Amino acid sequence: MAFGGKTLRHFVIYLILVYLVLFLAVLNRESKKESFEVSQSVRVFAYSSFTSITGPGPKLKALFELSCNCRLEFVEGNDAGMLLQRLKLESESLGADLVIGFDQYDLQKALGEHKWRKLDFSNLNIEPEVRPALSNNYFVPYDWGVLGFIARKGELKLTPKKLDDLLHSEFTRKIALQDPRSSSPGMQFLFWVIKSKGEEEGLRFIQKMFDQAHSYSPSWSLSYGLFQKKQASLVYSYLTSPLYHELIENDPSYEALSFAEPLAIQYEFLGIPEYCKQCELAEKFVNLMLSPEGQKILMEKNFMFPVLKDVKKGTPFQALNDKLIKDKSLMSFEIPSNTDIDRLLLRWSELRRGEKN
Amino acid sequence: MLVAFLESVKYTGHLVAISFLRIFLGYYYFQQAFAHFKGEFLFRPQIAEQISEFLPLSHAPEWYRFFVTAQFIPHWQGLAFLITGFEFALALSYIFGYVVRPMALLAVFFCMNMLFISGAAQQDLFKTFLAIHFVLAWVGAGRCLGMDYYFFKRRRGIWW
Repeated sequence: MAFGGKTLRHFVIYLILVYLVLFLAVLNRESKKESFEVSQSVRVFAYSSFTSITGPGPKLKALFELSCNCRLEFVEGNDAGMLLQRLKLESESLGADLVIGFDQYDLQKALGEHKWRKLDFSNLNIEPEVRPALSNNYFVPYDWGVLGFIARKGELKLTPKKLDDLLHSEFTRKIALQDPRSSSPGMQFLFWVIKSKGEEEGLRFIQKMFDQAHSYSPSWSLSYGLFQKKQASLVYSYLTSPLYHELIENDPSYEALSFAEPLAIQYEFLGIPEYCKQCELAEKFVNLMLSPEGQKILMEKNFMFPVLKDVKKGTPFQALNDKLIKDKSLMSFEIPSNTDIDRLLLRWSELRRGEKN
Repeated sequence: MLVAFLESVKYTGHLVAISFLRIFLGYYYFQQAFAHFKGEFLFRPQIAEQISEFLPLSHAPEWYRFFVTAQFIPHWQGLAFLITGFEFALALSYIFGYVVRPMALLAVFFCMNMLFISGAAQQDLFKTFLAIHFVLAWVGAGRCLGMDYYFFKRRRGIWW
């Protein structure tokens, strides 16, 4: 037959042969691999700035592999805010033994969508600011930070001192913010406003802020990049950001602005999924992260405050802690319910849609 | 068959240039397939990670997203095996000029899928490949400097 027939038979037999050979080759490779494999592998799912070369991940991994006779493999997510969405999509097929990077607004969702192993670290000698964050049984905070607005020194004619000052015409289209639907600092900003002003007043303020925002980036790093490229005059970021520029880039030209409203604290949590395969190794890695050595790496690489007491003693972080945090009041720790989070995100999205239309 | 191989240049000489493109593409796919085979692609859920990262950003229709999320992500091992096998099959087909037309049509389908599950950086590459596969299928690029000419001479038919 001219159309198909023997030709298609050729084609099908050819495909079957190729797949058969590949199948045998994979089998052969697997059996060799098994006979040579001497160590286990633990998979850690974390956000990209944690696993990147400049983040704390590689150093912690090297330290861990020295003593565990195992391999640690990072599975990289995007922004911390996207971790849960990805976990929801892939679930067990992701094969994560440990998940790093939730903040307090993710916890209820994480508990609702997945099963987690119980962790008990109540005996840790931790900072008083962190104590309330240890109240749950499944997630442990490993670092924390305070969020606020960062500016370049001497650039602003008017320095905002309270939230309402951000609505001044000088900042129109000049503030780099993050989308609360995909970025955890974005969510922190939304809750900061709501907590400071109440829900209705806060949302009215958020609506006015749409005119002030240069953009709502899907991740913190994108918004900070805009700020660094001088496309924005202000960025919502961590108060430790100026310290990063000072210590790493030797650039003291950034400053964290003081605000009258109590500032938002972000706690970063880790958790071990119930379906973990290397649960003990995962717990060992958690122990390393919560040891003074691990906490020092987290502080120096992640530019967040350690949860353990005395780790930041004698470092610029202690000075910053004293200068910026002890003088100010901070928002109290709470884990909002899923309903509250969903409602606020929905209202934010509706306002944003209305703004775009 | 060797005679037919050399003879193909004489009778389908107008396809020589495109045959070099075909062989180059075959070499490219062989490298890809080999890298997938030697690396962790078949044993780690890299393809599932790629899908869940880029699918939400793509313009894929809703039913396609649902299908990929429900079928591809949980069965990533099967999908990784299918992709690697197809890359090997396509590579050998293009290099030796064997069953090029049906393979190129399958490759068009393959590229259409990859377009939806790859990041913006790779989308242009897959669009270009899609066009090349389509042209290779259209002209029957296996007939020049390839085994397809041998079969075409004996059996005729539009698939050679």
